[in-house]
Amino acid sequence: MEEGRSGAPEPIARLIEAFHKLPGIGPKSAQRLAYHILRAPEQEALALAVALTDVKQRIVFCSICLNITESDPCSYCLDTRRDRSMICVVEQPLDITALERAGGFRGLYHVLHGVLNPMDGIGPEDIHVRELVTRLQSGEVKEVIMATNPSLEGEATSMYIQRLIGPAGVRVTRLARGLPSGADLEYTDDVTLSRALEGRQEL
Amino acid sequence: MSQRPRVYTTEGVILRRRNIGEADTIFTVFSPTEGKFDAVAKGVRKARSHMRGHLEPLTRSKLLLAHGRNLDVFTQAETITGYRTLREDLDLCGAAVYCAELVVRFTAERQEHRELYALLLDVLDALDGRAPLHTVRYFELQLLGLMGYEPQVDACAICANRLPEADVLLSASAGGFVCADCRAVAGAGRVISVRAIKVLRYARVVDLAAFAALRLDQSLAREVQSAVAELIRYVLDREPNTGKYLDQIARLPRFTPGADRPEDVQSL
Repeated sequence: MEEGRSGAPEPIARLIEAFHKLPGIGPKSAQRLAYHILRAPEQEALALAVALTDVKQRIVFCSICLNITESDPCSYCLDTRRDRSMICVVEQPLDITALERAGGFRGLYHVLHGVLNPMDGIGPEDIHVRELVTRLQSGEVKEVIMATNPSLEGEATSMYIQRLIGPAGVRVTRLARGLPSGADLEYTDDVTLSRALEGRQEL
Repeated sequence: MSQRPRVYTTEGVILRRRNIGEADTIFTVFSPTEGKFDAVAKGVRKARSHMRGHLEPLTRSKLLLAHGRNLDVFTQAETITGYRTLREDLDLCGAAVYCAELVVRFTAERQEHRELYALLLDVLDALDGRAPLHTVRYFELQLLGLMGYEPQVDACAICANRLPEADVLLSASAGGFVCADCRAVAGAGRVISVRAIKVLRYARVVDLAAFAALRLDQSLAREVQSAVAELIRYVLDREPNTGKYLDQIARLPRFTPGADRPEDVQSL
């Protein structure tokens, strides 16, 4: 029987290799996962295999908002009850899930699939900015809400997009920044705290 | 076995970050005492992390670190300066990231460099005070000098004769500027105007505030920028990643929304 580098039979070695490629999985975790699959009932392993192939074969990017979806356009873009004059721009599809869970937003989305990170060489051409500009050309959109993370990269991305689409006469807003619930003033950084002060509201 | 303390304090400017695993991040810090180093912050991406805001790139923070097996581990962080103004301006932020990248690329790990640290703080302070973008040229030229690559701006880099008060050739490989007589020896290069050379000389003799106060027209600013960029490219043997980004944002149409931030319009 052919054996892999780890001394395990080839199919197991191949599975270990595959797990090892996943983010955050080291060689030991990869081995543990592979042997878990080996011991698991066959249906469980097959279900995982089917889930893996399904996600690659059945999930596509929405041709309008670039969200991940099973049918193109995605359910948000097709939903006629949603407000078509507002687009909320997010970094990742998971951010849409978070916003939907929070409720309160009934407009459309746009997923950038990344943020500008000039030092690592990730520029505007590497994220889906152009598609956003194209979406604005119909004139239907009145407001673009930047919902990128309040990090250096997220803010740079928002400012870039604001400068890019601002001249088109679209209103560009961004999410309020301040204290998250459960925060500790004592540990809050100065930038966040000063923004929170500026954004204070009547009780 | 010699006992070394388990933790140490320092201050530093956060230069860049790289996320690892579920919630950890590796930060590259530049400190006056430790030089450039990487350290890991555990769980810093969780919403309740106490250190998150204090470890944003382009923040100057007081740091408490514990020695780790590979990387040291942040245990406490507190902002000294958050540089909020530059963070909220596309051009200033890009310029500051560019300076941070140069520090990353020019320095070696764990080598103390107090002068460069002071220079970095100076340029961040200036940009945070909305200094014009050509202030970055001062940073670049001083950085080249501190790292031992100061370009010759008075004498021909080949024959060492005084440079004439005329346009000269920039030859990064020769280490500076080349007079008309030596052009054939130097080979290819770009021609630099007397005005641009004067700006470079000025940067050597004045402090940052005086250089920032210079009024450069757009074409001169661009000429000086590309000359210095060429020197840097030659030394690093590569283009800094942020350079391309700065070109991209410089090409975007200028637009200030309403009268929101009228002072936003930069001379450069």
